[in-house]
Amino acid sequence: MGALLKIEWLKIKKYPAFWWMLAIVMLTYPSINYMFYNVYQQVTQGKEMTNNIAKMLLGNPFAFPETFHTVAYFSSFFVILPGILVIMLITNEYNYRTHKQNIIDGWSRKDFMAGKLIDVAIISFVVMTVFMFVAMAFGVYTDPDNLGRIAEQLHYIPMFYLQTFAQLSIAFLLGYLVKKAFIALGIFVFYYLVVENILVAYLKYKKIPITRFLPIEVSDNILVAPAFTGNFGKDSKDAYLLSISLVNEQVILTILYTVIIWLICFKVHSKRDLN
Amino acid sequence: MMEKVLQLTDVSKSYGSVKALKDVSLTIPKGSVFGILGPNGSGKTTLMSIVLDVLGADSGTYQWFNLPHSANARKRIGSLLETPNFYHYLSAVDNLKITSAISGRGTDADIDAVLEIVKLTERKKSKFSTYSLGMKQRLAIAAALLGNPEVLLLDEPTNGLDPVGILEIRELIKRLANEGITIIIASHLLDEVEKICTHVAILKRGTLLTSGPVDEVLSNEDIVEIGSADLSSLKECLSGMENVLSIKEDNNRLQVHFPAGTANMEAVNQFCFNKGITLNLLLNKKKSLETKFFELTND
Repeated sequence: MGALLKIEWLKIKKYPAFWWMLAIVMLTYPSINYMFYNVYQQVTQGKEMTNNIAKMLLGNPFAFPETFHTVAYFSSFFVILPGILVIMLITNEYNYRTHKQNIIDGWSRKDFMAGKLIDVAIISFVVMTVFMFVAMAFGVYTDPDNLGRIAEQLHYIPMFYLQTFAQLSIAFLLGYLVKKAFIALGIFVFYYLVVENILVAYLKYKKIPITRFLPIEVSDNILVAPAFTGNFGKDSKDAYLLSISLVNEQVILTILYTVIIWLICFKVHSKRDLN
Repeated sequence: MMEKVLQLTDVSKSYGSVKALKDVSLTIPKGSVFGILGPNGSGKTTLMSIVLDVLGADSGTYQWFNLPHSANARKRIGSLLETPNFYHYLSAVDNLKITSAISGRGTDADIDAVLEIVKLTERKKSKFSTYSLGMKQRLAIAAALLGNPEVLLLDEPTNGLDPVGILEIRELIKRLANEGITIIIASHLLDEVEKICTHVAILKRGTLLTSGPVDEVLSNEDIVEIGSADLSSLKECLSGMENVLSIKEDNNRLQVHFPAGTANMEAVNQFCFNKGITLNLLLNKKKSLETKFFELTND
């Protein structure tokens, strides 16, 4: 395990796209959250009645402990960035034919796939670390008085990790099976941004309650919309409470889906001719 | 008993309807320089890919070092299969660090040493993507040599090299063979194989035509080349001689074929002399690998 990690790190650490991804994530996460924070400030800072109502309804979603939930939710929109990297890391192996060379040099098929699993774990970890710092920075910056409540919602850190890992595993599966970077990226982005959203809208319109089982939605529903979204009347409250009540189930389903994805990858790779 | 490095038993492989290998059985003895020959598409690379677990055989088995095949066995083999496969964005040194970490062969000092052997020291920190074809090939050879593996498996090792490079690799292979390393080499360059191999196997469309020590494979017949002033009477006279398998006329001389080990130059000379024919040429001619190869692989 340690040896595999060391070898994968040798591959990643000098790969420019890795550092580009990290830089862009480090730029995007604070930016998107700052944008929403800005909107929050505008609707709550005035002296008028509406501003006070807004403040009452919204609370401060960027203060401790809510910041972990809020920042996780907004940051998770950008899983496509590390997704691109994950797809590149596997399709590069095909492109350079190093998927053969690694085996020739003495890895088993299982070692190779375990190395890729480690890649996805490393990238999820890096992204999670950025999220963690951004969430804490917002907590400290927007309401330092609440620092004492920092530990109350720390579970959003592993939940963010699980969601990222699950969605990156889907990206990996595509890259692994399709082999061609651009086709895999195209399918991933198109499905992530377009197909599933249309499906969700259609199924919700038809009142067929299976959207939460769709491949991306299953893990999207781990990080439900921030708590303040439940403060806009009975319907929104009910919706929020329902989604919160389903989180545990979504966590289990996500783990199940992800285990299945990796079982497929390991199984296919144990038999596949490496062309 | 002869120690075996690699043993294949009835290995077959198909790509759809194309049979790439048909029941190939082969033994590669320890310490040999084993040439695998065959025209393009004969199954050489498929065979090597199977024993390196890049491809799965449809049927049959193979054993490295008398053990069931495993990743650990491959760690003991330095291999160059088809093309140089490296991470384009990494330097020669960083690529070899990965080779070393996976195979467990070689230290940082060994990496420098093999890069020196293949003359890449000056460019060792350049990215692989900036290398010429010949440099890529030399890096692949360096990777195979890294950490002194017990066996070298080289698929067309001189691909892309200039004449000086080819000569250097040939010398290198001879030197390593002298050190006792087993070398398995696939090539379509026959003189290359003939110059360095102790054993040879010839493949054609997935079928193994022959294999064994070079001397045995080449001389399953003895050939004596003779000439005299009157070829037709010479031919007539020789057809009455014992053990003669066939007589071919070629370039104003005759090639007389005898079963292996039965040609006796003195006897031939005496036989002709007794029949009143004096020879102006008498040569014991070994068959060249090229002749044998074309004989076997031509339809």
